[in-house]
Amino acid sequence: MKLFLKSLVLIFGLIIVATFSFAAEIKIGVAEALTGPIAKYGVPIRNGFTLAAEEINAAGGINGNKINLIIEDEQGKKEEAINVFKKFIFQDKVLAIFGPTLSNSAFAADPVANASKTVVFGTSNTAEGITAIGTYVFRNSIAEADILPAVVKTSKNKLGLKKVAIMYGNDDSFTKSGYDVFKKAVDAEGLQIVATETFAKGDIDYSAQLTKIKSLKPDAIVCSALVEEAANIVLQARKLGIPESVNFIGGNGFNSPKLAEIAGKAAEGVISGSPWFLADPNAKNQAFVKAYKAKFSSDPDQFAAQAYDALYIMSEALKKIKLTGSIDSDRDVLRDELAKVKNYNGVGGKFSFDANRDAEQKGRVLIIKNGKFTVYSE
Amino acid sequence: MFLQQIANALALSAVYSLFAIGFTLIFGVLEVITLAHGAVFMMGAFAGLIAVTKFNAGLASTLLVSMIVSGLAGYLIDLIAVGPLRKRKFHHLAPMIATIGCATIITSTYQGIFGAEAYRFPFDFVPSTSYDIVGIQLTLLQLIIIGISLFLMVVLIFFLNKTRWGKAVRAVAENPRTAALLGIPVEQVFRLTMSISSAFGGAAGVLTGLNFNTIHTFMGGPILHRGIAVIILGGMGDIRGAMAGGLILGFSEILSVAYISSDFRDAISFGLLFLILLVRPSGIFGKVIERKG
Amino acid sequence: MPELITSFWQTYNTLFYTVFVHGMLALSIYITLSCGQLSLGNAAFMGIGAYTAALLTMKAGAPFGISLIAGGFLPAVVALIIGIPTLRLSGVYLAMATLGFGEVVRVVILNMEITGGSLGLNGVPLKTELWHLILVMGILIYFFIKLRNSRFGRILEAINEDEVAASVMGIRATYYKVWAFAIGAFIAGVAGGLNAHFTFFISPREYGFEPAVDILTFAVLGGTRTLWGPLAGSTILTILPELFRFLGPYRLALNGIILVLVVLYLPNGIVNRDTFTNLKRFFKKEENA
Repeated sequence: MKLFLKSLVLIFGLIIVATFSFAAEIKIGVAEALTGPIAKYGVPIRNGFTLAAEEINAAGGINGNKINLIIEDEQGKKEEAINVFKKFIFQDKVLAIFGPTLSNSAFAADPVANASKTVVFGTSNTAEGITAIGTYVFRNSIAEADILPAVVKTSKNKLGLKKVAIMYGNDDSFTKSGYDVFKKAVDAEGLQIVATETFAKGDIDYSAQLTKIKSLKPDAIVCSALVEEAANIVLQARKLGIPESVNFIGGNGFNSPKLAEIAGKAAEGVISGSPWFLADPNAKNQAFVKAYKAKFSSDPDQFAAQAYDALYIMSEALKKIKLTGSIDSDRDVLRDELAKVKNYNGVGGKFSFDANRDAEQKGRVLIIKNGKFTVYSE
Repeated sequence: MFLQQIANALALSAVYSLFAIGFTLIFGVLEVITLAHGAVFMMGAFAGLIAVTKFNAGLASTLLVSMIVSGLAGYLIDLIAVGPLRKRKFHHLAPMIATIGCATIITSTYQGIFGAEAYRFPFDFVPSTSYDIVGIQLTLLQLIIIGISLFLMVVLIFFLNKTRWGKAVRAVAENPRTAALLGIPVEQVFRLTMSISSAFGGAAGVLTGLNFNTIHTFMGGPILHRGIAVIILGGMGDIRGAMAGGLILGFSEILSVAYISSDFRDAISFGLLFLILLVRPSGIFGKVIERKG
Repeated sequence: MPELITSFWQTYNTLFYTVFVHGMLALSIYITLSCGQLSLGNAAFMGIGAYTAALLTMKAGAPFGISLIAGGFLPAVVALIIGIPTLRLSGVYLAMATLGFGEVVRVVILNMEITGGSLGLNGVPLKTELWHLILVMGILIYFFIKLRNSRFGRILEAINEDEVAASVMGIRATYYKVWAFAIGAFIAGVAGGLNAHFTFFISPREYGFEPAVDILTFAVLGGTRTLWGPLAGSTILTILPELFRFLGPYRLALNGIILVLVVLYLPNGIVNRDTFTNLKRFFKKEENA
């Protein structure tokens, strides 16, 4: 027991000592899910940040100051996210926070940052109402409402769709909000919905839903799912004999190199939409993809790209301010300057914050051809 | 469409049953709900994946490798965490908590090694042949899975009923003390049961990985959840029960999606479980004697 | 120094709040365990309580106290209704029936309009303060100490020791078991309400299978002989992952190792029958030395 108390004192002592060191750098907290099932999104995000930070520091930092990323795991759980945020704000005294990975966690943790007047910048939170939490909440993840209607419209015009079936994960906020947007868009285009089928997180078998859909003969299947689910759905649909002429129209979750990796040829003709895609020929993106692949020996996904861009967007604002060392006023100044970022040219194209600190970025409609997303329509 | 749905349900049930057999056998013999069975299932899938991608193993040897790895894992779990508890007086839930610890250790170590993303077997590891039988689409893989599952179940039942060790397992399941008096090495039987059952879990893992193309560190969670439902439905500790339970759950999931609503699939399955328990408190094949634990 | 303390408190207050809430959840399962019943429905009861309390504060503008009490009552009523048929089951069958019930609750919340479905309930106002938690915990500890020496408490113990014998003695076992179940549901519901009001957000996923098993782990790891066991178990399991944050991806593995070690070396829980005698002996030795 005594030993336990002693080690407890020691640990807290170390934490306190750690607080006082590294004062000369720009400290930025990164709270992402690095363990647990959500880590498949959190890890690429962290990679995007570390890559960007290394590049910025290698180029001399920002006005001579180096960026020091403090990375913590929030496991995709709301209490953990709150704990990490509080550690960043009150103990590490970071200038700003990136994260958390899930919108659910953001709803829990962002109010903490906002109340402490600390900028929180989400790179993967797409749910409605995130930035409405407060004026210190920013995000560069493009809301699905901005891109999916264009995807549906383009598909309808190019493929001559009349009736569609919808499939979505109903116990996940990401896929559910994707569905809500799709539903509106499909109704607005006057398409007939022949079936709406749901599945749950962790499902592996979609044959029942797909068999039902097959019998109703839709022209296309609109689907809001995370990438592993999406790949499996596409594969199983083809195995069940749903013809390739019935395209899949997917939400944000589809835009990942994993889709074609898992689904293979079955992924051909999948339509989705996003500002960023792996094969985008613009030089900045090519350099990013190459550097990412060299460092992490895998292709980046959309989450990694958005994180990478986010740190550069943040540094745009940091360049313009003079840090005083008084953390409260520095945080305030950063907030004001960040809100002014306009027309930053990133790997995902031109980026600006709108009046609500949401992303303003042009999305493109994409289609998989020969295993790669290419532009279907600008 | 109805026949296709029946075929879908059969393929799904096969995996559920295969997973549940080992799970229920452990309970029948050791009276422990091993919550590490999902992690063991995942280990089987990864072992198969490595056998194929690194060593170009064929289907049979892949299956064998994953069963050996998972069986070994079961052996170790019993050796380290569950076995030592048998010798002492303990809270009857202690072994179950120990298996939760094992599951956590296994999954986080695997995540450390493989990350959290999904892997798949190489395309055409099993030829993606599809058969169209009176309008029902069946893939070669589905047939293989149903075949292998049935084969393994038959082998297990044969083992339990006809071999000396199998009979020893059954005797220990009935009453460990009497079995010990009859000269059966009870401790070894316990460990054998854990190994065999885990090997079956591993087989289910590799077949799931093959059929559904997603192998990842956390794939054991949802199946564990369903496996519990399956063994309760069938009656804890009963092999026939696990097979029947697997069929019931598979059919209830598929048919509720097909004819009611996919929104309520899980509520229907688990509501059904709840109701069956109220009518037949010890499951379909369960012994009527109530036991604690 | 005071500044250090403030910053420490600001950083870790949510963690301490969570320790209290987990302690309550551990107690909510302790009462059913103390009459030999293994219920895994407490995560679902926590969810019902959390949604009830949060919706009352948000939509009806009810005072926090009222929301909390309602958040305890609704799960308790549900527990009474489902408890009467279910508590005829025992052991793992009861555990699984309650697990099935929990799943049904989760799906119902998922498909309801007012709960926000899978999108969850966002913007729950911050109401929970430290003194609320201390007060509720104080009441609970007082209640459990009193319970030990009450008729009800002794009956629960008798049922735990030997249900058949207790029935022969004329004790209506099911009646008392249902009450213990309902009290547990009440406690879990209040804990859910308290949790919802300091985490700003609730969603159905927080009340599923894993939290149900976590709650059980708190109690069994801590020991179920006295009320201090569940409290010790929940406190340790809540704080440990935070202490081992520096281990990165392997900190959960360490959690697992500790779980296995504790079960192996203290199979009756951290606080078991011998703890107090051992403690006394330990301190005596110190004095002698």
